[in-house]
Amino acid sequence: MSITVTGAIERSEIGVGTWGVKTEGGETYELLDPPDELLVPQAKVTIVGKVREDVMTIAMIGPVLEIESFQILEN
Amino acid sequence: MKKFLLLCLFFVFGIWFAIFNFKGLATQGEYNSIILDFREDIPTTEISKDLREISSQYNEKASLNSVFSVKDNIYIVEGDKMLLNALKRSDIAKDTEYIEPNYVYGVPQNELWNCNSKNKSIAFEPNSNSLNAPNDPLYSQQWNLQKVNVEQAWQETKGDGVVVAVIDTGVSRVPDLKQTDFVKGYDFVNDKENAADDNGHGTHVAGTIAQSTNNAYGVAGIAYKAKIMPLKVLSRGGGGTVADIAESIKFAADNGAAVINMSLGGGGESQIMKEAIDYAFSKGVAIVAAAGNSNKNASAYPARYPKVLSVAAIGASGKKSSFSNYGAGVDISAPGGDSDAKILQETIDPRNGNPTFAGLMGTSMASPHVAGVAALVHASGVTDPEEVYSVLKNSSLKIEDDPLNYYGAGQLDASAAVKLAIKGKITWGDFVRWLRDNGYLNPRFWFDGGAVALLPKIVMVIVGYLLAWFLRNYLPFGWALNGGILMGSAGVFFLKGFYIFDLPQWPFRLMGSSIPELGNSIVGTAQLNPFFASVLIPFILVALLLSHPQGKWFAIGTSLGVAGCLAVSAFVAPALWGIGSGLLAQSFLVVNALLCFGLAYVASKGEKQTA
Repeated sequence: MSITVTGAIERSEIGVGTWGVKTEGGETYELLDPPDELLVPQAKVTIVGKVREDVMTIAMIGPVLEIESFQILEN
Repeated sequence: MKKFLLLCLFFVFGIWFAIFNFKGLATQGEYNSIILDFREDIPTTEISKDLREISSQYNEKASLNSVFSVKDNIYIVEGDKMLLNALKRSDIAKDTEYIEPNYVYGVPQNELWNCNSKNKSIAFEPNSNSLNAPNDPLYSQQWNLQKVNVEQAWQETKGDGVVVAVIDTGVSRVPDLKQTDFVKGYDFVNDKENAADDNGHGTHVAGTIAQSTNNAYGVAGIAYKAKIMPLKVLSRGGGGTVADIAESIKFAADNGAAVINMSLGGGGESQIMKEAIDYAFSKGVAIVAAAGNSNKNASAYPARYPKVLSVAAIGASGKKSSFSNYGAGVDISAPGGDSDAKILQETIDPRNGNPTFAGLMGTSMASPHVAGVAALVHASGVTDPEEVYSVLKNSSLKIEDDPLNYYGAGQLDASAAVKLAIKGKITWGDFVRWLRDNGYLNPRFWFDGGAVALLPKIVMVIVGYLLAWFLRNYLPFGWALNGGILMGSAGVFFLKGFYIFDLPQWPFRLMGSSIPELGNSIVGTAQLNPFFASVLIPFILVALLLSHPQGKWFAIGTSLGVAGCLAVSAFVAPALWGIGSGLLAQSFLVVNALLCFGLAYVASKGEKQTA
C-alpha cells in the first residue's frame, strides 16, 4: 500500500550518514536509495512511496520509505 | 539579484557537499610519504639492494615503518606523487606487494582534536598513561574503550579464538585489521565469498570488536584476539532485506560463530528472521543488536526479539545519546557517542575504498562494544548464550535513577563482566532462565524488572500498616482502609515496569504510582513533586470524604499510606523537585509524614467519638 508523506528532507549524521524526511507530525522516514534531486537538506517535499517492512538499515532512524514518485515543493 | 541567487546556490551546494561527504575524510588524498610493502618470499639481500637503489637514484632514504613492520617488510620513504609514479614504474615494483601513498588519515586528526577538547569539557579524563594501555597511538582518543574498563579485562582475556560474525555492509581488511584473524565469510548482496565493505560502516563496527591492538598503529579494539567473520547483507547504500540477513544468521550459526553483531534494524516482525535467530540461539550463538536511532520508546527489530540482546547508546558523559532508542526491550547500554564525542575506528572511505580513521555515532557503534565483551566472556569460559547475556547484564554498572529504562540493566563494564564470568558467581540454570523469561513475555509486551526498587515499596506499605496499627482502636480494617493504605504508600507499583511495544509507557507509570508519586510519574523523573508528596492530597480527601461511610476510611487509609511513603522516602530517596535531596527535603518529608499521621488520627478519633 502506497502512502503519501509531506515534510522536510533531513541529513542524519547517524553512522556513516543517511537521508530522511521529517513530517510535520514529527515522524521521520528513512529514504531508501533516494535520487540525487532529493538530497537537499530542508527542502520541502511530497513523496509517494511504500514503507518496506522487509528492509533493515544501518541508520535505523525510522520506517524505511521506498520512493515511487516525489515532488519538490520548495527548496 | 542574479548574483545573489548564484551566491545562494553556491552556498547551498557548499553546505550540501560538506554534509554529504563522509565525516572524517576531509583531508583524504593528502600524503607526503609513500609505503612500500616488499614481498615476503624474496631474500633480504634483495630488499637491501632495492633500498640502496632508492637512496642513490631518488636521493631518499627508506626506513621501516615501525618495529612491527619487520615481518611484513613495510618501508616508508618521503616523497610525493612524482616519486610514487616513478617507483611504480621502476624495477623495484616487481619486488613489492604494493607501493601506495601513505595517506595522512587526517580528518580524524582534525575531528579528533575537536572531539578531544570537547571530551575534556564533559569531565572525561582519558587515562592513556595507565600501565595497561596499549601502544596504539590514537588509543588516547578512545574514551569509549576506557569507559567500559577494557584494559582491566585484557589482563584476563583478549577473546582468543572466539568467532564474532559481523552482519553488516561487509568488512575490509584495512591496515589496522591486518593482525586481526578472519574466518571465511560471505557477501549475500553480491553472492560471492569476498565480503569486502563498500560503505565504511561494517569495517568500523568490526574495528570496535577486534581492531588490531598493541600494534603501534591507529586505534584499539575490545576483543582483538577474536576472529572476525565478515557477512555482507547491506548494500553500499546501507540497506538490506530480512531474507539476506536471516540467511547470514544461519550461515554464522553453521560456521562456528559464537557471537553475532547486528548493527542494523528496522522493518516489522518477520518469521524468517525470528526462526533464524532461534536457530542460531539454539546452536549456542549469542546475538547482539542495536536498539535503533529514532529516540523512541522501543527497541527496533531485530534487537526486539526475545533472544537478542538489545543495546542502547550512551555518550562520553555517560548520559543517553540523543538519538538512542530506549524503554521497551532495551537490555543494556554501551558507548555509541553523540555529536560532541564520537567512536573512532579505522574504516574505508566509501568513495575510493582507501583506509581512513573516522569518528561515527549511533547505536550501531554501541552494539559492537557489547559483542566484543560477549566474546571476552565467551573466552572466559561462559559459552551458553543465556548465561553470556546474564553475565553482561549482571556485571553492568547499574544506573539507579533510570525510570524510562534508558540504560537497560546498566552500562557495559568489560572488566566486571570478565571477572564475573571467571568466578561463575551466578547460579546458572533454571533461575537464570526464570529471570529471562520474566524479563520478556513476548515481543509485544515487555517487563522491566529493574524499574521499581522493590524493597522500599514493601517497607512503605508495612510502615503504612504499622501506623494503622497504632490507631487500631479506631479503625475498621475493611477494603476501603486497605485500599487507601496501598494507594497512599506504594500504589500498584509493579505496573511501573510494564511496557507494550510502540505504545506510550506513561499510563502504566501513572497507574503504578502511589499518590505522592503522581506529580513526577508522567514526566518520568525520580524526584518527588513537593505538592503531591505532602499532606495536601490526604487533607483534601479527608475533607471531601469525611461524611461518606466507606470513603472516609479510604481517605484515612490514604493518609496513613502517604505517611508511610513519605517517612520511608525521607531516609531512602529524599529527592524533591525544586528543593533537592538535602536536610531541607528530609525535614519536609518527615514533617508531612507526621502531619499525615496526625490527620488520620484526628479524623479517625473524631469518627469514633461521634459513632
